[in-house]
Amino acid sequence: MSEKLHYRGRIGQISIYLGKMLRMFVYQNDWKVLPMAALIGGLVTFAVGPNMYVTQEGTISGCFALICACVWNGFFNSIQVICRERPIVKREHRSGMHITSYIAAHMIYQMMLCLLQTGIILMIVDVAGLKVHSAGLISKYLLVDMGITMFLTTYAADMLSLAISAFVKNTTAAMTVMPFVMIFQLVFSGGLIPLTGPSAIFTDYTITKWGLQSLCTLGDYNSQPMVTLWNTIWKFRAMEVDGQKPIKLMTDYILKNNKLDEVLLESGMYNGEKAYEYISSNVTHCWTMLGIMVIVFAAAAVIILEFVDKDRR
Amino acid sequence: MLDTILKILVYVLTSVGIYGILKKMKETPWWAFIPGLRYYGLSRACEREQDGKIVLGTEIILRILGFVLNRIQPESNLFIAVLVLVVVLIIINVIYIVRVVIGVLHTFDLPQKYAAAWVILPFVFPLILGFNNKYQPVYLGQKIDDELLAGTAPASLTAALDDDPGDDGLVVHVRARKVNELSRFRATRYLLKDINLTIPNGTLVLLLGGSGSGKTTLINAINGYEKADAKIMLNGRDIYKEYGQMKYRIGFVPQQELLRMNDTVIRTLRDAADLRLPKETTPEEKNRIINDVMDTLGLTAGKEGLVSKKSGGMKKRISIGTELISDPDLFILDEPDSGLDGVIARELFERLREIADRGKIVLVITHTPDRVIDLFDKVIVLARDSGKVGRLAFYGSPDEARAFFERDTMERILMCVNKKEDGGEGRADEFIEKYAQLTKERGTSGNE
Repeated sequence: MSEKLHYRGRIGQISIYLGKMLRMFVYQNDWKVLPMAALIGGLVTFAVGPNMYVTQEGTISGCFALICACVWNGFFNSIQVICRERPIVKREHRSGMHITSYIAAHMIYQMMLCLLQTGIILMIVDVAGLKVHSAGLISKYLLVDMGITMFLTTYAADMLSLAISAFVKNTTAAMTVMPFVMIFQLVFSGGLIPLTGPSAIFTDYTITKWGLQSLCTLGDYNSQPMVTLWNTIWKFRAMEVDGQKPIKLMTDYILKNNKLDEVLLESGMYNGEKAYEYISSNVTHCWTMLGIMVIVFAAAAVIILEFVDKDRR
Repeated sequence: MLDTILKILVYVLTSVGIYGILKKMKETPWWAFIPGLRYYGLSRACEREQDGKIVLGTEIILRILGFVLNRIQPESNLFIAVLVLVVVLIIINVIYIVRVVIGVLHTFDLPQKYAAAWVILPFVFPLILGFNNKYQPVYLGQKIDDELLAGTAPASLTAALDDDPGDDGLVVHVRARKVNELSRFRATRYLLKDINLTIPNGTLVLLLGGSGSGKTTLINAINGYEKADAKIMLNGRDIYKEYGQMKYRIGFVPQQELLRMNDTVIRTLRDAADLRLPKETTPEEKNRIINDVMDTLGLTAGKEGLVSKKSGGMKKRISIGTELISDPDLFILDEPDSGLDGVIARELFERLREIADRGKIVLVITHTPDRVIDLFDKVIVLARDSGKVGRLAFYGSPDEARAFFERDTMERILMCVNKKEDGGEGRADEFIEKYAQLTKERGTSGNE
């Protein structure tokens, strides 16, 4: 009468939920995130233009745009996946479902989505003719190194939004919270908007910082020419000082002696950042940070969701 | 100087006014002198406790932030951040104060529009409401005499539970279900008290009660979701002590359909089987159980279709199917007929009757019981007494219920015990006491 029965354990339950998610991919239109990734990839490539990995300015803005696309994709993949079925999760948890299995199934499923999305964006970047065919710093090909960075960035963003989805009670709340987190990620990346003082502390906790740092390092940012300085000087050519035009004299000299490329490279060197130094440890450090974020966010999702039984009716 | 005197005057007058209101509402009156806590006290009395907690919480945080703000250098980033937070919290605080005030006005049966007057002149209105005897809380009653109900759980039942629990059926002995939250400052609030029932196997039971009578609380206490000070035995096994195993023996179908709409019917049931059946179940046995459930609930024909494409009645049956798959001994359904028309609802209840006839206990909450009352064996009537505690007002057969309440339909019985503000007759206390008296006379509460 009171013999102890054994039910499906954690590993067994992962396969049940993974199967469910794969069916949802087909039936619930989750597949739509893939064409969306292609669309975003296309738009970003169009905006980045041919200067990525050619000049420092093109590199930083191009890498930032790619990272934004990755974070966007990651966020949209999972922001609603838990909160939209929260009452079901609560019911199933009470019937024996393990939260760890449920989140693990999500992690596997989302990993597949992120890999596909990264592949799609890289393919578009490649087709669009961006300069991504040099040798990689870690692997043999730059494209592979870029792919790993973009995948980890997308996946970390995905896990962050999974944790948010586990925290909020419904989809409306999720979609309200998401823009704030997104803005935080973009503003505090420290890439386009340099941060100093106490606000700089936040940058270490953003996914975008590590993604951007990795991509800029891979493109050897510090060895690229800087054109902003030259363009600014060029605007001041007509400026007179004591009846003379010293800036015009200088620019004419540089052009006449074919020293422009040298000057641009030199100014790029002075504008270099230690964080973007072309060494493999820089990239592996970024990857490690992104990997840690993935684990932390997934663990947070598990811990938060363990309290699902406390939800009010 | 004048400013400070005015502030103190407003504080004292407001506090005194709220003191009077809290006294009238039978809450701790001295709370009126502590900002924040005063609104929490008011909220408790008018059943807006959650709102009161938010007022209290924001008030505390605002005090701390006010202190911090005075010590930060103006124009610094931190100052701006704290300032933004303060503004956000003030907005939240005011909104929730208005919500509590509206609750108080409702309790005094006054129009909501006075809430604006209260917020603008925070001392005038509380003074009038607190000390003018013309204004009395309408929706507060005298608490039922606990002494009268003490010991309504018959000695026979308690002894049976303590010494030798029966092997058949469901035995419910809820002494109390109380709210024990850290945020509460006062004595524990009771949601349910003294519910004693013995339900034999093979019984289809109707659980009847108005809003706030504790139906869902009782269900959650029985199925172990929200444990009460209780002993719940199912076929001789203690649900609370053996919850890890017993949760598979209890099926619960909530009012809301908890299904993944874009999955197929068969896969939904198969996943439920994988999750809820013991590991030792062979694939053949699993298939047999799934087919059996589909046959019982009439799901076989459209099993490959998506859940989202099914009708309301069909979705309800799929919900039931996912619970039925583990062949539970106790099956609880919360308004399974909501949104279903008469014919479909009847058909659904007939299937529940079939499940009960297989020796299961099926406990159902429904708000339209009369169209299917002939299918039920027993009726539990829960009522909320004037002390806002859910109590047992009756347990017996439908015929006995009609005689006890002197009403010919279940819906009229419900009206008898419902609160006046809900359009009922407000006679809950009377029937709770009558039933308590009856069980004392019988000496076997709830046992027929």
